[in-house]
Amino acid sequence: MRDNRIADLEQLAKDNGLDFFPVVFEVVSANTMNNVCAYGLPTRARHWSYGRSYDHQRIYGEMGFSKVYEMITNNDPSYAFVLDSNTEAQNLLIVAHCFGHSDFFKNNAAFHGSDRNMARHAAEHANRIDQYIEQHGLDAVERIMDIAFGLDDHIDIHKGLYRKKYPKRHIEEHLVRVGEFDDLLDPRKAKGPSRIREVVNATMPPHPEKDLLWFFIHYAPLEDWERDILDIVREESFYFHPQRLTKIMNEGWAVYWHAELLHQYKDITPEEMIDFARTHEKVVQPGNPFDINPYYLGYRIYKDIEKRWDEKHAAGESDITGRQKIFEVRRDEDDISFLRNYLTIDLVQELKLFTFGREDEEGKDEDEDEDEEILYEIKSRMREEVVEALVRPRYNNWAPKIVITDASSEKICLRHDSGELGTLNFRYAEHMLEYIWELWAAPVELRVKDDDGQDIVLLFDEAGFSKRLLEEEFGFADDDDEKEEKEP
Amino acid sequence: MNDSYKDIWELRQPGRRDSQRHRERIKKAIKENLRELIAEENIISSDGKRKVKVPVRYLDMWRFKFGQNRKGKGVGHGDGDPGDIIAKDVKRGKGKGKAGDQPGEEIYEEEVELAEIVEMMLEDLGLPWLENKENQVEIETEEMVFHDIAEKGLPPNVDLKRTLIENLKRNSLAGKPSFGKIVPDDLRYRVWENVIEKHSNAAVVLIMDRSGSMTDDKKYIVKSFFFWMVSFLRLKYSNVEVVFIAHDTEAREVEEENFFAIADGGGTRISSGLELAKTIIEARFPMSIWNNYVFSFSDGENWDTDNERCITLFRELLGMCQAVGYGEVEYSDQFYKWAGWRGTWSTLHDAIEEAGDLMSEERFLSASIVKREDVYNCLRQFLDVNGKERP
Repeated sequence: MRDNRIADLEQLAKDNGLDFFPVVFEVVSANTMNNVCAYGLPTRARHWSYGRSYDHQRIYGEMGFSKVYEMITNNDPSYAFVLDSNTEAQNLLIVAHCFGHSDFFKNNAAFHGSDRNMARHAAEHANRIDQYIEQHGLDAVERIMDIAFGLDDHIDIHKGLYRKKYPKRHIEEHLVRVGEFDDLLDPRKAKGPSRIREVVNATMPPHPEKDLLWFFIHYAPLEDWERDILDIVREESFYFHPQRLTKIMNEGWAVYWHAELLHQYKDITPEEMIDFARTHEKVVQPGNPFDINPYYLGYRIYKDIEKRWDEKHAAGESDITGRQKIFEVRRDEDDISFLRNYLTIDLVQELKLFTFGREDEEGKDEDEDEDEEILYEIKSRMREEVVEALVRPRYNNWAPKIVITDASSEKICLRHDSGELGTLNFRYAEHMLEYIWELWAAPVELRVKDDDGQDIVLLFDEAGFSKRLLEEEFGFADDDDEKEEKEP
Repeated sequence: MNDSYKDIWELRQPGRRDSQRHRERIKKAIKENLRELIAEENIISSDGKRKVKVPVRYLDMWRFKFGQNRKGKGVGHGDGDPGDIIAKDVKRGKGKGKAGDQPGEEIYEEEVELAEIVEMMLEDLGLPWLENKENQVEIETEEMVFHDIAEKGLPPNVDLKRTLIENLKRNSLAGKPSFGKIVPDDLRYRVWENVIEKHSNAAVVLIMDRSGSMTDDKKYIVKSFFFWMVSFLRLKYSNVEVVFIAHDTEAREVEEENFFAIADGGGTRISSGLELAKTIIEARFPMSIWNNYVFSFSDGENWDTDNERCITLFRELLGMCQAVGYGEVEYSDQFYKWAGWRGTWSTLHDAIEEAGDLMSEERFLSASIVKREDVYNCLRQFLDVNGKERP
């Protein structure tokens, strides 16, 4: 593609108010593209799981199921990888699309504080991991990486990437005032004002902790290199978190802008325009009936917001135009608030959205030996239901919320805190407890509810995995530890 | 747009390395689970395919995730009213196939070359007492060894280090001592050579009882035994002759495809199979040129009057074979299970024991299989070459 066309589009994007990092376009082969996509960041540390995604990318690509035209990194400058077999018109689309993404990276609130130098940092991470592999062997390093990746959904985005350790356990003294008649109830108080001693941060952790990786990095009995690997994975998880939080918005924004910029762009031949339109059509097809294409959904919502605010503006109900409004939305929202605030009743109807689920809600098996036919039916076309169904899985970084409630050198206790979203897969939980057992070097307990709503404790220790019913709690709630435990 | 680094990107292919590592991990996982895999229906019924699907339950990326009881619904789009059925899915019952541990759970499957599994399973095995015979057609086993660098070759064999050195050399000569655009002249490839091992020629006769007393379970066990045996022989010896004989009271030679498509019935005369094996070996595989092997499988529910004949034939076959194997799939029907018996030997087996000489002959191999997992041990027993080089 001619460089002057890139410059033209760049100027056009800026004239429209887009504010992006410099974008470096790298033309690469399909093979390189598969590599880049499998790793998410082209410079990232090695891990066998990327090999798996690479194989999938490659096979799907060869079979023609999916083709990745471009991939752009959130970085300053933004690196955009472009497929060498793209047509000129496809490249025009991609260039405009990438300016949209880069603008989103730079301005959306979820991306504030994200590492704009990640391309380089990831390469440093990779170097360090290569060193550890040399020192400790591939198997040992992979094991820690497996554990770290198993936990990398569990970060606390609000507490941030860099956090202070908990304040030390300490004792505070308060002066207690004595009222005029207090000695009637307690003769000891007749002596006058007394001091009361209070233990602060007596428990560990002081509050239920959801940043599991952070907790283990700072408090688990690990070697420095193991700590560093957890840290690397945590950093990269923080880096990717905003992208998982804004998939619909980010793609919708980029689609909106490639459509808009190419519409305004004059230096384009009719043949290129047709080719462009064809590619655009592919990008915004609604997707299969049971899964909605985020590019399409995001794009339609932005278009709808723009239209509605233009109308309001024209009617004098709004100070800002549609265009100004979508710039605000792109700055302030993430997917959850975007859907809640802007997926309107009208739009749900226009896009013919519905929720679906199993016909027999619970799907409990009476006879497990028989083949069972599962029927799926449309559940609802209500706006609230649709929004809720879209939003729910996005809570808590797309994962169940697990918190550490109590930790000592004897054992560590965790709790599943998002029971309202569903119960855990116990087979997976079993492996996760083993991971945590390896990190903490002491028995691990996880409190969960099973499918029947009963409180269950999953346990992992030297003897392996077991589970038992949680006993009725009598007495004080804090005394969890004192209670006798029954063997399952 | 910048395409000047395209070649350098091309040379940096971490995906290949990690994909390689992923394969290694799969192999390791498979190795640790061979006993279960050997009875995996997906594989046995993969007739003739080079790649088989292996459920990789043990190589998942573990994380906390919601189970089947996840609340919430999917979101779709299109026409229809609430209550309309829009899709159908069939969940297989527990008894059928290998379902996951939890209902409806997705199982991650990996495609693996059948040859890879066979190799892992039986890598240290071979045909016992293999001899050098006269006038032999040699059997080759192929192995590749990379031993040189060349200027022409296949793209996957690019030697990165040598290529970069050549690139540096060329640029230095041109007065710019740095890495730059890679041109075809720079590329260096690793080249390999086939290492040829020589083996003697061998003929293997496989005999299967397909009589009425062979229940589906028993047939399945025999089928999986022969499946792995044949896969192994084909992989390890590129020029081995395999003969398939099926029998009830009469025996006939069948094609491989028909051998595994089992549908016979009737009484059992094991001697009929052995008889035919003898005839075939005499006619086609003279001992002076061929290493002969006969492996016969049955449930041992033989006509009593036939046992004597069988023993005679076993003796005769031993005279013209390197080894003769007799495997018995034991009774394991409900009554015996209920009675708590592990199974019991058949009358034929008793007769063999009484005869005495067969039991003390080490080239007469016998084994019993009770459950599917035993197939693995039985294969290892029959194909054990330790201390069995040349008698």
